[in-house]
Amino acid sequence: MSEALRLGALLAHPENGGVRTIAGPEDTEWTGVVVETTEPDLPADGNGRLAILTELPPTRPWQQDALVRRARDRGFRALAVPHADDFGAGTRALAVRFGFTLLHVDRPMLLAKACWQLIEARDALTLSYVRKVAQSIEYHAQGLPDLLRHLSASVGHGVALIDAEGVLLEVGGRLSPEVHAAIDFSPWVDLARMPAGTAASVRVDSPSREGLRLAFFGEGLDDRQVSALAVAAEVAMPAVAARILIDEINEVNDASVSSGVLRDFVDLRGTPDDDVERRMFDRGWRTTGYHLAFRIVGRSRLDARQLLRFVTGELGRISIDSHATTSGRGVSGWLTFFEPPASSQVERHVASLRELHVAARRSFNIATGVGSMASGSMGLTTSLSEAGDAAMIAVNRSATGWFVRVDGLGLDQLLLARTSNDAFVPIAQALLAPLESGGGVLLKTLSAYLDHESAVSPTAAELGLHRNTVAMRIQRAQELLAVDMSDPEVRLALQLACRAVL
Amino acid sequence: MPTTLELADLPPLATGFSLLGSGGGGATTILDLALRDSTDWPMTVHGVNELDPSLPCLGAAFVGATMLLGERLPGATPFAPLIEAAERWLGHRVPVVCSLEGGGLNGLAPFTLSRDRMIVDADLTGRAVPTLDQMSLLVDGVPGIIVTCDSGAGGVVLVETERALDIERVVRAATIQAGGAGGMVFAGFTVGELRDHAILGNTARSLSLGTAFLTNQFGSLSGIAAALGGRLLAEGRITSIDADPRDQHVTTYSIDGSAGEVHHLVARSENLAFMTDGRLAAAAPEIIVVLDAISRDILEVTDLLRARHVAVMQLDGPVWWSRSPDRLRHVVPSAYGLAELDGAA
Repeated sequence: MSEALRLGALLAHPENGGVRTIAGPEDTEWTGVVVETTEPDLPADGNGRLAILTELPPTRPWQQDALVRRARDRGFRALAVPHADDFGAGTRALAVRFGFTLLHVDRPMLLAKACWQLIEARDALTLSYVRKVAQSIEYHAQGLPDLLRHLSASVGHGVALIDAEGVLLEVGGRLSPEVHAAIDFSPWVDLARMPAGTAASVRVDSPSREGLRLAFFGEGLDDRQVSALAVAAEVAMPAVAARILIDEINEVNDASVSSGVLRDFVDLRGTPDDDVERRMFDRGWRTTGYHLAFRIVGRSRLDARQLLRFVTGELGRISIDSHATTSGRGVSGWLTFFEPPASSQVERHVASLRELHVAARRSFNIATGVGSMASGSMGLTTSLSEAGDAAMIAVNRSATGWFVRVDGLGLDQLLLARTSNDAFVPIAQALLAPLESGGGVLLKTLSAYLDHESAVSPTAAELGLHRNTVAMRIQRAQELLAVDMSDPEVRLALQLACRAVL
Repeated sequence: MPTTLELADLPPLATGFSLLGSGGGGATTILDLALRDSTDWPMTVHGVNELDPSLPCLGAAFVGATMLLGERLPGATPFAPLIEAAERWLGHRVPVVCSLEGGGLNGLAPFTLSRDRMIVDADLTGRAVPTLDQMSLLVDGVPGIIVTCDSGAGGVVLVETERALDIERVVRAATIQAGGAGGMVFAGFTVGELRDHAILGNTARSLSLGTAFLTNQFGSLSGIAAALGGRLLAEGRITSIDADPRDQHVTTYSIDGSAGEVHHLVARSENLAFMTDGRLAAAAPEIIVVLDAISRDILEVTDLLRARHVAVMQLDGPVWWSRSPDRLRHVVPSAYGLAELDGAA
């Protein structure tokens, strides 16, 4: 009986036998505990202790009054009995009048055990927590959140994985920001105590992610409980660190498999293939329906897996079936509609993708291309291919915020069909047809002009012409094509078309 | 020396019996009104020792739901056929009458018979009680007691038995047959037997209590308690009324004391025990009187309603009950299966 027993600590104890306050002061502490079968068995010297009775109390109000009265007269400051929640208003008022705490308990022996752990057997408390941690590790966990759920459920307190910025994952409660702020991230073990709650945290030694801590937290915990939880956190930490690694490996593995499936699918160019279909189906990808593909590529070196993690998270906010996977130096993905979407709906989702792009740019130096809406297996291939092309264009397109959508371009079909596409050449020829009238000199001059960054003098030098001749031919070509050559998009389209035709 | 009671003594006498009713025994109003019109005043009340001990005696009372008597008024001579049957069975006239239940309505019953019989100041309970086997003569096992009662439609039941509980059960059954309330007569005993086996001077006590109450009725509550020779136990509001989970006849009233005390009044058809802050303050056979703290009316159990402002007082119970543990066990709360309420005295 060396230290005080606090009601708050008992209430926070995960195995307290279902104790709860019925009447009387709640912010209270006792010098100890006495457990007896019935009230007459209690010692005469209560000395400010808590009395726990294991037998059912009397059911009549006056007997309940008398029970409270006698326990208080013996010097006890609190009484825990089964069925105290049936006590009437009069008895509750009496407890309040006496400043005597009346507690209901479902299982008095468990409460007695909890008291014993808190008062006399701190090691037993620690050991019980450690054993529970061990039990929770024994069960198969799907991932880190699942492991934390196991830990929280068996230890009986909240568990959180935190870094200096905030909470990354929490289960079994909410770690108040006030308590989070009080946690010291430098030591191996830290005990934080605030009015809003208490947390025992330990550093997580993870090779891939630094500055993480595993914290057990709760409200009303006393020092003994927090110390015991700190040990529990130390024991649980290696399992959590290992789980973080396993999850990362799984993620890498999963991403590379997805990426392979997507590559095989695109390579088929719409040709049906049972094996690829099945592998896509296994991943929950369907080719039926209407698809709007996008591709996000790095404008500089980036970790495609990290980008995928971010994109997958953000896609969750878009309320439509969506998939994404790493592909080369970026991430490819698509939205699938089961019904032909209205144009307003498409616009809305493109806007969502743009928001995703903007959000991603805060952390990654990326460019995003969006394909056009297309249906079926072939359509998905097309849309993915368009998205890839658009992304390539977007890489250099600061004017559009490094976001390009196929449908948003004036000369889109031409631009994005690109030279590799069989459909391109006829379109390019059709576009440049007006220049054929000049016997090809206009085309040649235009191509050289565009290759020399629309500068007249270098073009003239290369072609061995006078500057004025070049300027006149460009003027003529512009008139024949009826385009505005001051528009960079137009210039780029023309340049690509020239490359394809010449 | 015999006591002579004038008509003017009727109100304090009735008030006194109301106090001794301990919340039960029925309102005295019916007999109070009947006796006001009686031509027998002044009436004489004899002490037990003033009469020949060999004189046969009878006791009369109403039994059943006294509330019904207000709806179905008793006749001018409600006890006549019962006495006639008893006398016929015994084979002699019974010239003396005592009271059976000197608390509530029945305290006044002997006075309705004063024309033909001598009234002796003796009573078989000294307060209101719920069952007939609690009559002092039966508690002490006095032999030869017979009981007559109404069974309805002018019928009379006569019970002669050695087993007191049978009297309670048979009379109760006959009374239900009679419509829920009726008359009852005890006979087969003498004035001499009353000396040891009855509560003596109860009418005198009632008159003195009633006089003291009416004199001090609108004074301070503690003043009333002092004038009655009792204790003021509580003043406060009734905050809840709870039926007992095990016995539907038992009701617990929670009273919030004016100084924050937590009181519980436990009652059946009478007030049986009173507890303050978890400690027993009074219990039967002590008499627990509940007054309306504002109007100063003496309240019956049925008048206790939520939010009513009441004062509770304790008056000493008849000493007769406390003279032996065997007598006491018939009237303490545990006699009704109420644990932990005995022994406030």
